[in-house]
Amino acid sequence: MRAANRGDSRAYRRLLDEIAPVLRTVVRARGAALGAQSCEDVLQDVLLAVHTKRNTWRDDAPLRPWLYAIARHKVIDAFRARGRRVELPIDAFEDVLPAASAPDPTEGRDMEKVLNALDPRSAEIVRAFGLKGESTAETAARLDMSEGAVRVALHRALKSIARLRERMIE
Amino acid sequence: MKTDELISMLSADTLPRITVQQRLMRALPAAMLVSTLALIGAWGIRPDIAAALGSAAVLKHVLPLGLVALAGAVAVALVHPAMPVMRRMPVLGVFGAILFCVFALALSRQGLSGLTDALVTPSLLVCLLSIPVLATPFLVAALWALSAGAALRPHLAGAAAGLCAGGAGAAIYALYCDQDAILFVLPAYFAAILVVALIGALAGPRALKW
Repeated sequence: MRAANRGDSRAYRRLLDEIAPVLRTVVRARGAALGAQSCEDVLQDVLLAVHTKRNTWRDDAPLRPWLYAIARHKVIDAFRARGRRVELPIDAFEDVLPAASAPDPTEGRDMEKVLNALDPRSAEIVRAFGLKGESTAETAARLDMSEGAVRVALHRALKSIARLRERMIE
Repeated sequence: MKTDELISMLSADTLPRITVQQRLMRALPAAMLVSTLALIGAWGIRPDIAAALGSAAVLKHVLPLGLVALAGAVAVALVHPAMPVMRRMPVLGVFGAILFCVFALALSRQGLSGLTDALVTPSLLVCLLSIPVLATPFLVAALWALSAGAALRPHLAGAAAGLCAGGAGAAIYALYCDQDAILFVLPAYFAAILVVALIGALAGPRALKW
């Protein structure tokens, strides 16, 4: 995390890869009744919060208490909001719906909705990093932008995503 | 979107986020400018300001500024998850207790009639209204800065921001206020600052949501 806050993208990715399964277990233990997909949405909320609030971790402090405090807050928030929404289990429609392939358990739905609400340019950049796994240089070349501009655009897009998801939760 | 994809997306964003301290550095001077100009324009500065700053009345600035520092430290700790707040809270408590002792001492010397004599002036209402008004720019600035953090207890963080802003408002109002009696300053300033803290506590959950 220390390296990540200094801008080391690879170290940051390793960290997120490590904490995601831990957080997933926590979220699933708490929200088993909601179904795997909603749990994944909550997990994505938590990861987004870790990302947007990473500046509130002081690098001389242990990471774990900070991480759990962030996760706890976000998990409570997310479940409170989702509890209010009615979630119909899909089993009830099994006979009516055409058989679909089993959904990927690490697939969330909410993020798609948010991306669709974003302006097309930002969504394009975000997708380039997320779905296609492009590097900054590749995206910059493809969209005819400077690397710095791509970085700033991604930074801004993630900020709006965090804001939009918050609004969805309310 | 898959969680894996989200992770690649997040890890590509390596620009540093602005910190609470950076925002405070940006917002507080602006708030100070607004409040001071408002005081000079609408209230005016007491004519004997030079003499007052040379006497014990300078405490009307020093003590509120002390409150700004202490409450500010608590507020900053409150928006950094897992940062120990408990070490900073007692200092604030001791500060309040000392002021209360001073108040009790003055009260025992001059009695209740002394208190009513000191408080029953038109200045009381002016003070109770002016401090919150002068504190408003500071409260807005503090809440804006704190919203860059992550408040786990937004009511409490908002109240600390309110105490901080109230202290700043009081320190500025003291440039105008010509009542120097302990039995006026302590209860009146305390009540006015408390109003700001209350507003902060109510605004906290909304302003510090994340």
